[in-house]
Amino acid sequence: MEAAVSDLVTITPGLPVEIGRIEKELGKLWEESGDGKTRASLINLAIYTESAAAVDRNTELIAQIATEHACRAILIFANRTAAERGAKAWINAHCHAAGKHEICSEQITFQLDGDSPSALTNVVFAHLDSDLPLCFWSQAPFREPLDSRLWSWIDRLIFDSNDWDDPAAQFALVRKIATLGEVRTALCDLNWTRLLSLRLGLAHFFDNACALPYLRQLDHVEIVHAPGARISALLLLGWLAHQLDWKLDSVLGRHAFRAPDRREVTFEFVMRPGACISSCRLAAGDASFQLDRAQHDQFYHATMSGGRFEASSQLLPAGRDRITETLLMELSRGGRHPLYLKALDAIQPLLAE
Amino acid sequence: MPPSSPANPLREGLLSRSAPEPCSLVIFGATGDLTHRKLVPALYNLAADGNLPPSISVIGFARREKSDEQFRAELEEAARKFSRQKINDELWPNFAASIFYHRSEFTNLAGYESLAARLDELDAHRGTRGNRLFYLSAGPDQFPIILENLRKSGLNRAKEGSWSRVIVEKPFGTDLPSAIELNNMVEGSFREADTYRIDHYLGKETAQNIMVLRFANAIFEQVWNARYVHHVQITASEPLGVEGRAGYYDHSGAMRDMVQNHLLQLLCLTAMEPPTDLSADAIRDEKVKVLRCLRRLAGPDVAEHVVRAQYAAGSVNGRDVVGYLDEQNIPATSQTETYVALEASVDNWRWAGVPFYIRVGKRLPKGATEIALHFKSVPPVLFRQTSQAIDDNVLVIRIQPDEGVSLRMSAKLPGSSLRIEPVKMDFHYGTSFGKATPEAYERLLLDAMAGDPTLFARRDEVEEAWKFVDAIRAAWDSGEGGPLANYSAGTWGPDEADELVKRSGAAWRRL
Repeated sequence: MEAAVSDLVTITPGLPVEIGRIEKELGKLWEESGDGKTRASLINLAIYTESAAAVDRNTELIAQIATEHACRAILIFANRTAAERGAKAWINAHCHAAGKHEICSEQITFQLDGDSPSALTNVVFAHLDSDLPLCFWSQAPFREPLDSRLWSWIDRLIFDSNDWDDPAAQFALVRKIATLGEVRTALCDLNWTRLLSLRLGLAHFFDNACALPYLRQLDHVEIVHAPGARISALLLLGWLAHQLDWKLDSVLGRHAFRAPDRREVTFEFVMRPGACISSCRLAAGDASFQLDRAQHDQFYHATMSGGRFEASSQLLPAGRDRITETLLMELSRGGRHPLYLKALDAIQPLLAE
Repeated sequence: MPPSSPANPLREGLLSRSAPEPCSLVIFGATGDLTHRKLVPALYNLAADGNLPPSISVIGFARREKSDEQFRAELEEAARKFSRQKINDELWPNFAASIFYHRSEFTNLAGYESLAARLDELDAHRGTRGNRLFYLSAGPDQFPIILENLRKSGLNRAKEGSWSRVIVEKPFGTDLPSAIELNNMVEGSFREADTYRIDHYLGKETAQNIMVLRFANAIFEQVWNARYVHHVQITASEPLGVEGRAGYYDHSGAMRDMVQNHLLQLLCLTAMEPPTDLSADAIRDEKVKVLRCLRRLAGPDVAEHVVRAQYAAGSVNGRDVVGYLDEQNIPATSQTETYVALEASVDNWRWAGVPFYIRVGKRLPKGATEIALHFKSVPPVLFRQTSQAIDDNVLVIRIQPDEGVSLRMSAKLPGSSLRIEPVKMDFHYGTSFGKATPEAYERLLLDAMAGDPTLFARRDEVEEAWKFVDAIRAAWDSGEGGPLANYSAGTWGPDEADELVKRSGAAWRRL
């Protein structure tokens, strides 16, 4: 977690503006920029942080996101420890060349001082680009009480479960948000998104007709994860368990899964610096299916060996292990993620450990 | 239907589209232009995006002597030139390892038998489940012998639990009898459900978006009919001439090259009724109904409703260009049309009385493909004092380039007097979605591997389209269809085409 910030913090993400004049000042910004620039917006992308240090980082991230997802970006820095309540705003634009045109997205940055839960709904949401979906990325932990008015405005709730100090409590709140009346918020855990290429890679092994029978004979799963990425490993394990109908079985303090044929499936997590998930190995007797990835490598090295199939080694795209790419992937995919909560159910008892 | 391959439970719910299944893709005519420019770059891009089953095998089948390594080296060079993504030096060797070359004459049955043995071997090594996808990328004159030998060698028959499909490149015949002959020939080897006739226009994002625009937006579907639409214009213009395709083009002409397939497909997507669901057959059923409702133009009607023309010398993009008859390898007496404008009528409840104007031409001022719905005028009651005509609303779907949708409407000019001017609401794919869209061939290859024929033409679609086109061509051949007009290269076509639309009070859009 980022350290709490003081009242003296200063941020300068663009041109300072009075909150009541934001739309007018944005209009002026476009008038002054001439005809060569085109303002575009497909979504409202709101990012909520409680860290002053994250403002610059997020502004840079928004600039990169805007090259593929034209948006109105609203960056909210909640300075909750400030003694006095207050709000400040800045505006700027992120432009990139697209053929003859320059395409621009707007960013409005708010600093909300003091602990005022209503400020978020009152001040910030008054500046949404109307009728466009709202993707809200909360970089701070969720807290009770949950304001159902706030969540009912959000179409896609983005979060990264790897950032949480207390995943069990946070997942419980996320589930609550998803079931609030009238709410149709899609839950988008970036941790789940970054597992997509890994899940595709594992699925690829068993597209091979000779390898497919081993899927029902798996007896061990080994996942190597980076420090702080245990939840990624758990979600991956939960996905496997759900897809293969394994049930968690805890005997004498030891966890394992039971397959539908009563076979025991053991698992092991190894923590090692490197990529979020640097290795995942599925074993069925002598047969082994393994994805390995070095840190910053764009590919998984997929190897299968030992069974009654031809041993092979291939490269599979892994994408870049960077938050910008993960967020872009999430925004591109859209839709809901029906398997996410099911994967979570499969490993629920392990979350608190 | 043969039983499908056993399901991989890890695939369930992973992607929102049908997953392509591992298979051996055999390309007939593997040393040709299409393979180099389109197919292999498309396959590479799919692999780089993680969309291609890693165990896929790509086998080039062609006459020339060469090794797997030579073939891979040639394809690498082509992919580096034509791929939309930069070739990754680490990934290419991995991808190339799935490419093989099989040398044989198309006429040599033994070559197919040895291909079958090789595919079995690859199945065993790569786990491709006996699934086969044959891509006929050779000249259409080679299709019969290829199909016959596929049948004789048993390659057309899928093994238990697997599938065998064929992709046929256009042209799907040169007229109705030849299309029927080709379809019968294909049907002699492959079931219709396993036949994928490729029309790359249908793989374009914007063509796919037509259905979404119409059926996912309540405001459009309400006005998408004869009550509100005055006429529809479908345009495909290009500044290019015949560009080395003289032999093919002079036999084909604009009507067969563009109207019979691409433009009638766009017309179908524009005019069709909502399908019962999004299944391939439900959508194609509706498209066929449109073709059946097209009023047949024959005899003297053709002269009244169709204009054909050929370009004369002129200037395109500031460069002087020769006329069609002076192009290399074009006979001096050629009567081939390089431009067609026609007025089609869709005789059904929804479109009764609405002209669908189609125009296509070479050596026009710029390249553009679009569909424009021109709406009827408002009653001339309220604003008749304003001494100016109010422009009608126009909804334009731009297929290429600058894919997007725009709507023209009228607005009051700021000021104390009432002046009405047209304004445009414009949605550009490129502006809103920065990400490069996949090439049409990527989508279509993926669909064929996944067994989804939605974006491929069905036999009855092809044959119905030929019926419409053949009747016009017959009138031209008999002399009843009117003379071949001329237009200068770099202009928007002959005056006769302007006259054609003027009759309904319309004018061609200024693109």
